[in-house]
Amino acid sequence: MTRKLAYVLVTCVLFAAVSCQRGNNTSSDQPTIAFVLKTLNNPFFIDMQKGAEDAAQKLGVKLTVQAAEREVDVEKQMQIIENLIQSKVSALCVTPSGSKEVVPAIVKANKAGIPVLIVDTRVNQETLQAAGGKIAGFIGSDNLEGGRVAGEFTAKKLGGKGKVAILEGIPGHETGDSRLKGFREVIARYPEIQIVSSQTANWERDQGYNVFQNMLQANPGIQALFACSDLMALGALEAIAAAGKTGKIIVVGFDAFSEARDAVNKGTMDATVAQSPYEMGRTAVENAWKVLKGEKIQEDISLGVELVSKENAGAASGR
Amino acid sequence: MKIRELLLLYGRQFGTLSGLIALCIVLWILTPHFMTVSNLLNVAQQTTLVAIIAVGMTFVIITGGIDLSVGSALAFSGVAMATLLQKGVPLGIALLAGLGAGLLCGLINGLLITIGRLPPFIATLGMMSVARGAALVFTGGRPVSGFSDTFRQIAVGEIFHIPAPVIIMLAVYLIAHFVLTKTKLGRYTYAIGGNEEATILSGVNVRLYKTMVYGLCGMLSGLAAIILTARLNSAQPIAGMMYELDAIAATVIGGTSLTGGEGTIFGTLIGALIIGVLRNGLNLLDISSFVQQIVIGAVIIVAVLFDMVLKANKR
Repeated sequence: MTRKLAYVLVTCVLFAAVSCQRGNNTSSDQPTIAFVLKTLNNPFFIDMQKGAEDAAQKLGVKLTVQAAEREVDVEKQMQIIENLIQSKVSALCVTPSGSKEVVPAIVKANKAGIPVLIVDTRVNQETLQAAGGKIAGFIGSDNLEGGRVAGEFTAKKLGGKGKVAILEGIPGHETGDSRLKGFREVIARYPEIQIVSSQTANWERDQGYNVFQNMLQANPGIQALFACSDLMALGALEAIAAAGKTGKIIVVGFDAFSEARDAVNKGTMDATVAQSPYEMGRTAVENAWKVLKGEKIQEDISLGVELVSKENAGAASGR
Repeated sequence: MKIRELLLLYGRQFGTLSGLIALCIVLWILTPHFMTVSNLLNVAQQTTLVAIIAVGMTFVIITGGIDLSVGSALAFSGVAMATLLQKGVPLGIALLAGLGAGLLCGLINGLLITIGRLPPFIATLGMMSVARGAALVFTGGRPVSGFSDTFRQIAVGEIFHIPAPVIIMLAVYLIAHFVLTKTKLGRYTYAIGGNEEATILSGVNVRLYKTMVYGLCGMLSGLAAIILTARLNSAQPIAGMMYELDAIAATVIGGTSLTGGEGTIFGTLIGALIIGVLRNGLNLLDISSFVQQIVIGAVIIVAVLFDMVLKANKR
């Protein structure tokens, strides 16, 4: 008796979940574009989702957005892609949680005849070729250029000499690796600028706080910080405030989401490199739609990056 | 009379199984994409990792313990094996090393718990951090990727259209069921969880068998690592985070009691399938990952709640 009640309850929970989520997605002959994000608990990807949704609405196409709970969970992302293949979506837009790890999932989509567009993070080309996988296109920011822009700004602010620290993303992530490469490339041209510490904070805010606090302990003379993402930079800002050094260390972030723009406006942060996740989401869905209609698309679409500093923070925060 | 006895013996499993069937029927009604051969194979394949780890977890929980280090042991075994494979070590030896690395983590857990007299929660919590750190140090934080096609067959190969990981999983369950019901190790596993003092007094080398159980649990994490690495064509030092929670959830949904002494292997398989089917179904229905977490959490709570009610009724 009680057991029966259990299943009734479980079923109710399920139905409740279903009914509060299902809106207008019952017709199956309409093409569906699925967008797989790294996660939905990061403002960057929420902006991207918004862009994708707006584009889908304008084009009158059905959009499904799915994400793993954690940004780095490559296996869960693969499961989501497998499940979307099963539900016979027409096209897939994916922001890979791992540049190499996403490849088997792409191959599966290829086999099912579903075109795949890669967004934000590049797929490792060698791995893709070795596996015989194919993507319809890539839409993302020029991260290497972004790293260079950040490097130039930092070098200029430092007057060509000083001690710099870096907060890296997760090693092996193309986005972080490219930003790092661009930044280091520029700094290497200034012999008097020394990189005293370069460590990962795994893209996370709390780790940005902890890691930078430790860096400050080890190198109290740090004059500038480049964080490969704003989330880590914002964490580091708190560590700087706790050390009573607000405004004394040049902080440059990456992503330019609204909280970071505010920090730049207030002057606690010096600059951040703007990408437009909204544009990325919009462009990805528009191009997926073109692919579905059989139109040719540009294989590599680079959306520009732009430095947001106190001078232009107000102007650049248009959205 | 016979049927009554069977029902009493396997009542709990029967209940879990009917829950799984009910869930499948609900999904069948809600989406046309669920009840297809390719999707069911898809679910089976997605369930293998948690299902295999949950076998080891079932043994450990039946002894009245817990193992929080399975996800980290998985990451450690994965990168150890992957590094060897990339250095050109023969496949067989690399696979053994993968299993061995997991076994090592498990045996250390076992020794800390039996000889060191640490509570399992603490010993494996420590190991969770140590093994994860070791995997990160070992690789410098970077994934190790790119393996031979032969190795990848472990994940992408098929026998009679059934994916190889599913076959491995079924083999593990058959062997584990045999071990738990027909061997000394199995009987002592129940005995230790039922009444450890009494088991010691009856002359059983409890330390030895307990250590073996934790070793087994670690080794199965190593096996899961092999499959995961072949599946993604990459071993990540950050792989397997939170797998311990999925494995524990599968075990308790399957009717194993956290206080030890009772539980079955096939109950765990059904528990793992319930989690797998739920995740798959919620994806197919386009339900957001936020809501998915609520649903899965609710199912775990409801399953265990009913177990408690059932037990209270028996008394």
